[in-house]
Amino acid sequence: MSETVVRRTVVVTDPMGVHARTALAISKIVGQGKSQVKLVKKDRQARATEVLQIMTMVAELGERVEIEAVGPDAAAVADALEPLFAGKFNDETQESA
Amino acid sequence: MQKLQGIAVSPGAVIGEALVMDTEGFRIPRRFVARDAVVDELERFNKAVTAAAVEIAHHRETVSAELGEKYGAIFEAHLQMLQDSRLRGEVEELIRQRHYSPEYAVSHVLRRYAQVFQRLESSYLAERANDIFDIEKRLLRHLLGRRREGISHLTSPVLVLAHNLTPSETSNLDRRFVRGFVTEVGGPGSHTAIVAEALEIPAVVGTGPFLTDVSGGETVIIDGDQGLVILQPDEETLARYRREAEEKRIQATKLEPLRDLPAETRDGVRIELLGNIEFPYEVDHCVDRGADGVGLYRTEFLYLGAEIEPTEEIHYQAYTRVVQAMGNKPVVIRTFDLGADKMPNMPHPEDNRNPCLGLRSIRLALRNLPVFRTQLRAILRASVLGKVHVMFPLVSTLLELRQAKMVLADVMEDLQEHNLPFDRNMPVGMMVETPAAAMMADRFVEEVDFLSIGTNDLIQYTLAVDRTNKDVVGLYNPVDPAVLKLVAMAIEAADRKPVPISMCGQMSGSPLYTILLLGMGLRRFSVTPSAIPEVKNLCRRVTIPECRTVAERVMTMENARDVKNYLKEEVKKYVEEVAE
Repeated sequence: MSETVVRRTVVVTDPMGVHARTALAISKIVGQGKSQVKLVKKDRQARATEVLQIMTMVAELGERVEIEAVGPDAAAVADALEPLFAGKFNDETQESA
Repeated sequence: MQKLQGIAVSPGAVIGEALVMDTEGFRIPRRFVARDAVVDELERFNKAVTAAAVEIAHHRETVSAELGEKYGAIFEAHLQMLQDSRLRGEVEELIRQRHYSPEYAVSHVLRRYAQVFQRLESSYLAERANDIFDIEKRLLRHLLGRRREGISHLTSPVLVLAHNLTPSETSNLDRRFVRGFVTEVGGPGSHTAIVAEALEIPAVVGTGPFLTDVSGGETVIIDGDQGLVILQPDEETLARYRREAEEKRIQATKLEPLRDLPAETRDGVRIELLGNIEFPYEVDHCVDRGADGVGLYRTEFLYLGAEIEPTEEIHYQAYTRVVQAMGNKPVVIRTFDLGADKMPNMPHPEDNRNPCLGLRSIRLALRNLPVFRTQLRAILRASVLGKVHVMFPLVSTLLELRQAKMVLADVMEDLQEHNLPFDRNMPVGMMVETPAAAMMADRFVEEVDFLSIGTNDLIQYTLAVDRTNKDVVGLYNPVDPAVLKLVAMAIEAADRKPVPISMCGQMSGSPLYTILLLGMGLRRFSVTPSAIPEVKNLCRRVTIPECRTVAERVMTMENARDVKNYLKEEVKKYVEEVAE
């Protein structure tokens, strides 16, 4: 597998913005993968493994966030992260309300 | 340095240590650690993080098991935040480099994070600050352990900074050590304002959100004259406030000898200076200042924050304390002056779009006779202990006054039947605080033993201004000619009868207006006890003819600004400096 760089811009469509649970899910996915990921919002950025950094980046509904992944599974990680910004959690505890 | 503008509700300025009251009511002293203790303190911090982490993990498991993974996830997120490398790095840096105590460092760093959220417009994300506060609390609990100090057990002087203070919080505060209040919300009539005035400590309310900008233990200045709160003051500002405090102290010392001298004008006219009080303990402030009595004993505190309606005995105990402390000097007890929303166990009125013009005060009393009668019984029972007067608030028609007097007569009969002693000749009076009462004062004086002008409401109702509304507060002015005309009407009507008339609003306590009021014929002032020395000082320097000249001139003026400027000049002729 080769080192790839993936940059993908997502728009936050979760009405509650990127909240604690989103941040946690992001950090978990990134922690399990093999790529280095950072999130960039305008002049702010966060290491995607750090919940507090992700949260204090403060991404609200309608804002653009760039996912920058570097590593062998960069594209797969970015794919896995994308739905989180829409409030879709890929586990059995799907948002119900 | 950061300055916040709020509403000044209790005068004076004070420099002190901040007690931030949102962290479960415990305080973080600003403490520095010795250089050689840094290693131990870092270890203490790390232990606290570990302990907090174990606790959160435990919570996560319990919550996940009971409510599902989705809810447990929030604690998982807290756990991650707690162990965030940057956060820990920042705290450790403050301990290592700046020798902050771990408590102070934690509070400082986490508040900066919380600020990021609190500044946001969006409420969803702004509430996220609570996640951070939650972590802060948890860490502090582990760090402080048993040493955490509750607000009811203070050991050193503090300035209390809070979002809002509830009656139960203020009643639990240790009065010996609280030196000032700031609340983010609230207006001049708020509970904090009343308590601060009663404690005679500076207070500023309605500053808007700022608590995340300050950590407990930091030095803060509260300027209750200007309505300013100064965070992280610079040396120059501190020096200025210290100098002013010193000057005030000297000034107060100068006025001390006046305590035992009568408030008598240079031409020998005796002026009566009485105290306004809210809480029974304030009667001591009146005695200390040599007050001629209690001119306004507000009884709202008995109801505010009470779970159930106060019993007759609770009323009686409070009144007894005040009446006995005043001995043979008069005590004017005002019956409750509240809306139904502030009364325990009273259904909220259906129609309350306009509370100031709605069912409150005497109107509410006359609709809830059992509550009213309980209070009147206690007042009457206390009347044999001293010189008790009863006063009805917010009377606007003669019929209301007559109804209230009928209820009183009825309660008297009841007491007599039970052979309970009371003063049958207890003077009965009313507040003049609606334009209606002032305009009908000539009729009211036929049916009361005394009048008392309540300027706060009279100004509000005359000028149609809510003084808590910052857009129109500029119109709120005690010396607006319209207000002065009504005050003059009331004084003239009382003098003609004659019945005694006093003034008990904030206006009467400001030396700026003393000359004018004396000139208008007022001889009885009821003021916040701390204002007695200054008002007395001025009374003793003027003559009545001098005051009359001033009043006559004022009555020809057409707007409040001119009156105020003129009075400022006049007062300067007698005393060096006068606060508004």
